[in-house]
Amino acid sequence: MSNIISIENLVKRFGEKIAVDHFSLHVEEGEILGLLGPNGSGKTTTINCLLSLLQYDKGDIQIFGKPMSPDAYDIKSKIGVVMQNIAIVDTLNVYENVDFFCGLYINDKKTRQQYVEEALEFTGLTEYKKYKPKKLSGGLLRRLNIACGIAHKPKLVLFDEPTVAVDPQSRNAILEGIRKMNREGTTVIYTSHYMEEVEELCSRIVIMDHGKNVANGTAAELKASLKNRETIRIGIPNLSDDIIHQVKEINHVYEAVRDEDNLLIRCDGGEHNLVHILSFLSDSNIPFGHVSTEQPTLNDVFLAITGKELRD
Amino acid sequence: MFGRIFIYKFKALIRSHWLIGWNFLFPLVLATAFSLGFGNLIDDDPISFHTMDVGYVAEEDSTFLTVLETLSKSTDEREAVINLHTYNSEKNAKQALADKEIDGYYLLDSEDIHTTVSENGIVSTTLLQIVKDYKNFQTTIKNIAIDHPENLESAVELMGSDLEIIKQHSFGHSNSPYLQYFYALLTMTSLFGSWISTFTLQGMCANMSERGKRFECAPGHKFKAIAAGALAGILIQSASNAVLVIYIVTVLKIDLGLNLGLILLITTLGSALGITAGTFMGALLKKPVLLVAVPMTYAMLCSFFSGLMVASIKQYVQYYVPFLNKINPGAVMSDSLYIASNYGLTREFYQDITIMIVIIIIHIILSGVILRRRNYASI
Repeated sequence: MSNIISIENLVKRFGEKIAVDHFSLHVEEGEILGLLGPNGSGKTTTINCLLSLLQYDKGDIQIFGKPMSPDAYDIKSKIGVVMQNIAIVDTLNVYENVDFFCGLYINDKKTRQQYVEEALEFTGLTEYKKYKPKKLSGGLLRRLNIACGIAHKPKLVLFDEPTVAVDPQSRNAILEGIRKMNREGTTVIYTSHYMEEVEELCSRIVIMDHGKNVANGTAAELKASLKNRETIRIGIPNLSDDIIHQVKEINHVYEAVRDEDNLLIRCDGGEHNLVHILSFLSDSNIPFGHVSTEQPTLNDVFLAITGKELRD
Repeated sequence: MFGRIFIYKFKALIRSHWLIGWNFLFPLVLATAFSLGFGNLIDDDPISFHTMDVGYVAEEDSTFLTVLETLSKSTDEREAVINLHTYNSEKNAKQALADKEIDGYYLLDSEDIHTTVSENGIVSTTLLQIVKDYKNFQTTIKNIAIDHPENLESAVELMGSDLEIIKQHSFGHSNSPYLQYFYALLTMTSLFGSWISTFTLQGMCANMSERGKRFECAPGHKFKAIAAGALAGILIQSASNAVLVIYIVTVLKIDLGLNLGLILLITTLGSALGITAGTFMGALLKKPVLLVAVPMTYAMLCSFFSGLMVASIKQYVQYYVPFLNKINPGAVMSDSLYIASNYGLTREFYQDITIMIVIIIIHIILSGVILRRRNYASI
């Protein structure tokens, strides 16, 4: 696998504020890389620098092995961009919009026609091709936004929050479309606030905070890096401090706290934690009701690393 | 790529409701209002420039008298600007003014030329302009009087026919000064092209819109794309002007005093002026909110000073800040229409056309320099 994107020590300042702070990133061919970060973490600034829309103070950006610059047309011709906000022409219909943006990359009329039809098919917009954008629902508009960004069959596509305000059906269609593109060889950089999407879609995840690359790995690797590997919730009617104290003594339990009539137990790893805890309760003749366990989510990882919820 | 961008920009613009409203319908509404307001006065022509009776009182000989004598002669191109009456004392001139025998008089003493008129208006503006024009030539005239006194009279006559007052006003011609409103309206419509450009540029610059961001991510050459958009804008604006001219001439039945081809040629040049001005503004401005406000203010201000609301404003500007009339695209364009309709294709007409072309070239060069320096979008 070769490096499609190579960012080394990128620094971007806005006056006194450092938006991107010695950020490095490598994206390999065929990856779907999830770029996560709270608002103001430097994701969009990094992407703008990557696309040469923004001049940066320091660092090196290479795409497809060549330095990226505003007039690196050979590189730009292989990149597709799907913006967070809808970037289309209101007065052109669906077909014309896709044809217009595709035409900025593809000169040959026949090839372009074929690509436009395929993009419409891909995004499920064929039956709407004569519609003006104002006649489309939010979900269909998002799909049009995507069609405009990918019609020229780029080798690298940057998706910036493509599923915001999209109905579940359109969201599934979009995610499935991205998977299909990836299967056909397209490398994808994907930013989203939806953890479950990122977890489901991305082969690797990079978490940005304060302009830095603070975590990097697969979803499983990131979760494994957490101290809290399993959370067990048990309903105990006569929960006493003594019971809580005794539970804390069990192997791999690093925290046990009261949550109303429930006992919340956090374990830092190990196997069969639930069996050990339930055995202890039975052996001690402590009555208990419902039992549930939770695996850590990407949001827990995010919270642990950045101290913030992603949707904050 | 140029052709495709041109076609799509043209389609996108022509389907924009705001453009149809402001650039096509609004001028028609204004033209109708002008026609209702003073359409029937155009034939009556009550304030057209006509020969004025002017008194002259001098304590000593002056070349100014030669200038006045030149202006008091009719030529093939115009009627006499003034009927000159000489008086041996200011008292007699004052009496003549009181008796309405003259519209005003000049008094020359050793220090200056003093102008007296019965009331402010066209007469005062014209008489003051004559003095101003004379003063512009005074040094040259004095030099000729010293070096080549034998040529003095012919030189003064030559200068007399070159005075601004002669160029600016149609003495004795049949075209009504009310037509100035329609010329200013055509000017305004042409300059409305400026926000077509800023709108087009908005979709091509990453710091102005998401569409612009997508556009700048594409591998196309930015200048080609902007040129294609500008060409689409000029075509639409020229069509808007053509609709307006045809409406004025055929529906409102107002004779603009020019053949249709020439009007369309001038208004197409005006459209190019508006479009390139908008491109310059779009290159200069960074806040999308200013992309409508600035071109609109520009179009309205230029049109105002070319006589859209008050026809005589151009004469006042000519008197107090004549340079402004030479750099105001609106004044230059309306002036070219006025001169062409009253005098034909004179040197002054070609001068106006040249100024318009120069302004267009300056806009293009400045826009190119600014956009080239802005390699990065600076979002």
